[in-house]
Amino acid sequence: MRVVALAVLVCASVFSPSVSAEDAVRIGVLAFQGSERAAQDFEPTIAHLERSLPGHRFAMVPLDLDGIAEAVATGGVDFVVTNPGDYVDLEQRFGVTRIATLESRDRSHPTDTIGSVVVVPAGAKRPQGLADLAGKRLAVVSTQAFGGWRVVWREMDDVGFSPKRLADLVETGFPMETVLAALREGKADAGVLRACVLEDAIAAGRAQEEEFAVVGERTVAGFPCRLSSRLYPDWPFARLAATSPDLAKAVTASLLSMSPTDGRAWTAPQDYTSVHALFRQLEIGPYEYLSRPTLTGFLRDYWHWFLVAGLGIVWWIVHVARVETLVRRRTAELTREIQERERAEQAARRHREERDQFSRLGILGEMASNIAHELNQPLAAITNYAEGMTRFIDGGRTDPAFLRDGARGILGQSERAASIIRRIRAFVRRRESAREDLDLDEVVRETLALFEGLAARRGIPLRVYLAGDLPKVAADRVEIEQVLLNLLQNAVDAMLDQPGRETGITVRTSRDGAAVKVAVRDHGPGLTPETEAHLFETFFTTKPQGLGLGLSICRTIVESHGGRLWAANNDDGGLTMRFTLPSATTEAT
Amino acid sequence: MTDPTAPLVLIVDDDEAMRRSMAFLFASVGLESQSFASADAFLAALAETRIVRPGALVLDVRMPGTSGLELQRLLGERGFPLPILIVTGHGDVPMAVTALKAGAHDFIEKPFKEQYLLDMVEGAIRLSRERLAKVERRRTVAERLTRLGKREREVLDGILAGKPNKVVAYELDLSIKTIEAYRASVMTKMEAGSLAELARMMAEAE
Repeated sequence: MRVVALAVLVCASVFSPSVSAEDAVRIGVLAFQGSERAAQDFEPTIAHLERSLPGHRFAMVPLDLDGIAEAVATGGVDFVVTNPGDYVDLEQRFGVTRIATLESRDRSHPTDTIGSVVVVPAGAKRPQGLADLAGKRLAVVSTQAFGGWRVVWREMDDVGFSPKRLADLVETGFPMETVLAALREGKADAGVLRACVLEDAIAAGRAQEEEFAVVGERTVAGFPCRLSSRLYPDWPFARLAATSPDLAKAVTASLLSMSPTDGRAWTAPQDYTSVHALFRQLEIGPYEYLSRPTLTGFLRDYWHWFLVAGLGIVWWIVHVARVETLVRRRTAELTREIQERERAEQAARRHREERDQFSRLGILGEMASNIAHELNQPLAAITNYAEGMTRFIDGGRTDPAFLRDGARGILGQSERAASIIRRIRAFVRRRESAREDLDLDEVVRETLALFEGLAARRGIPLRVYLAGDLPKVAADRVEIEQVLLNLLQNAVDAMLDQPGRETGITVRTSRDGAAVKVAVRDHGPGLTPETEAHLFETFFTTKPQGLGLGLSICRTIVESHGGRLWAANNDDGGLTMRFTLPSATTEAT
Repeated sequence: MTDPTAPLVLIVDDDEAMRRSMAFLFASVGLESQSFASADAFLAALAETRIVRPGALVLDVRMPGTSGLELQRLLGERGFPLPILIVTGHGDVPMAVTALKAGAHDFIEKPFKEQYLLDMVEGAIRLSRERLAKVERRRTVAERLTRLGKREREVLDGILAGKPNKVVAYELDLSIKTIEAYRASVMTKMEAGSLAELARMMAEAE
């Protein structure tokens, strides 16, 4: 824009070579219909000024809207002649002051000559009022134009019709009659013209009388042209704030004394309040701020909403943070819970497995303390009797009745203990022995499968050597498994925390004459002579939590099958437990 | 009739075999014993007799009905004079601690060595003799005090407070001769050979 403005200024200088740029009084003219037309319109005025003020040279500078604003802002002109709308804008922004207003001597309202007319191609189904333009395409010369658009905009606003309801606002560009061309070409359904442009076109033969109809027509008495709007004052001649008062005064006097040319002359400056009112109503130009609220104004008007919004945002942030923390915490809790549950399930599974093993061994860990307590009573009583008898005799007394009492007491309590043990055995066995022809290799394989997990957890490997061609034995599968498990469990217990642990346990089956033999060999500490002597005794145990029942029961089982169970230390350390079972055929014979 | 100074061991245990075998053990060393099958049976018997013989109470802590600890508490409230030996199960240390805090003489963990039980019972019996003697002495003093008249009692209090006869005479508004007569009467009725003996007697009875 600046480049255009400067170019125009340079052109002006070129056209007036005798006047130096410094000396010339420059008059910026809004050339909305092209610089030629502007020159044509205002050349008489310039000529008049030069004539009446010989001490000055006057140069006309044709500018567009932006050019004028630029020139006024930079002091590139001394006076401006522009449309009422632009003038009001410049007055507001740069302190431009009107010194004269254009008048038309041939009209009843000489100074109020600017209005607009909305035209449509004549036809049956044409809109009557401005509101009927909803959904239509409206052609305007420019959305910045005063008489060409804004004047009509205000009329629309007055009837509550927003331009947004138009299908389209088509900008045609200058000259203004292009709007008529757009209607003829069907580019728009309606068009806005400055008042009297239509009449001029008809007069010049560029349009037909019946070709166009007027929308929202109104009449102003004495105004010769058709109208769709009220009228506004004509163009003002204005000076810049920086222009010297003397010059302004001289120019004013000269303008007012100018004789009309083409029916137009300059008169006293008019009131542009109506123009201001238009701009204010439409919230454009100098009143654009009305539609573009300032931040402080906005804050002042809507502080409570800001407060609410601010609190909302704060709440939202807090909420989000809280939710985030909660989610994180819950997730952690959940993960922990899941892990704990998994651990618990794992522990329960392990526990179950182990208990299964133990119940197969006939030794329920939970029973141990009950059994111990139950046996404790008769044992303590027996001790009391025996001790009492000893003391009695040591005291040199020999009352046979007393000693008999003691002996009876001991007898009674041994019977009580025996009955407890019978109950335990019955619990351990709890079922009828069921003999069947068994492949001992298979029984060993199955039992080891049961035991493998437990041994692996203790870090003790199992090695198996199966004979493969053993004769069948007539045996109770569960009982034989129980014996095997018991021997294996003992082997594991013996090897726990022993250096030879990784050597593991070896299970071997073999033929032993007419019988079948199973050997379970460990690499534990082996048997001391004392242990060996009591190994199969009931309640003899070397385990801290043991009851001393396992091997006793095992031997009972094996012997009930007609077999034998014995222990022997290995030459290279550790112990081997062996048992035999007669083969089914031998037993039959 | 049994010797009132011979010790008597009391046994409270719900297990008959234990009661009988313990009684047998005590009998083998010449100790008389009496057994009760429950705490309630023992309390019922106790209500009808007064403990005069030295001895000990061997109390099983685990019993159906009133427990050993509960019985111990009840006996404590009634000023039961015999030491109590608590018999606990194996590893029942917390219960033993509770019993000791409640004033048990000692506790024995089952199964126990007989010698240990006998030693403890022996110790308890010794203690019970001292306790019973003290109780007896207290009872005697209380009985003798009832023989004193109102004036005699006032004079006794004056003497025990260390006041000379004339101060007591002044306070009671009596002649010194009368006080001396009362004083002689107090000594006789209280069966005290000397003022020191009287003072010891009264201190013990407090």
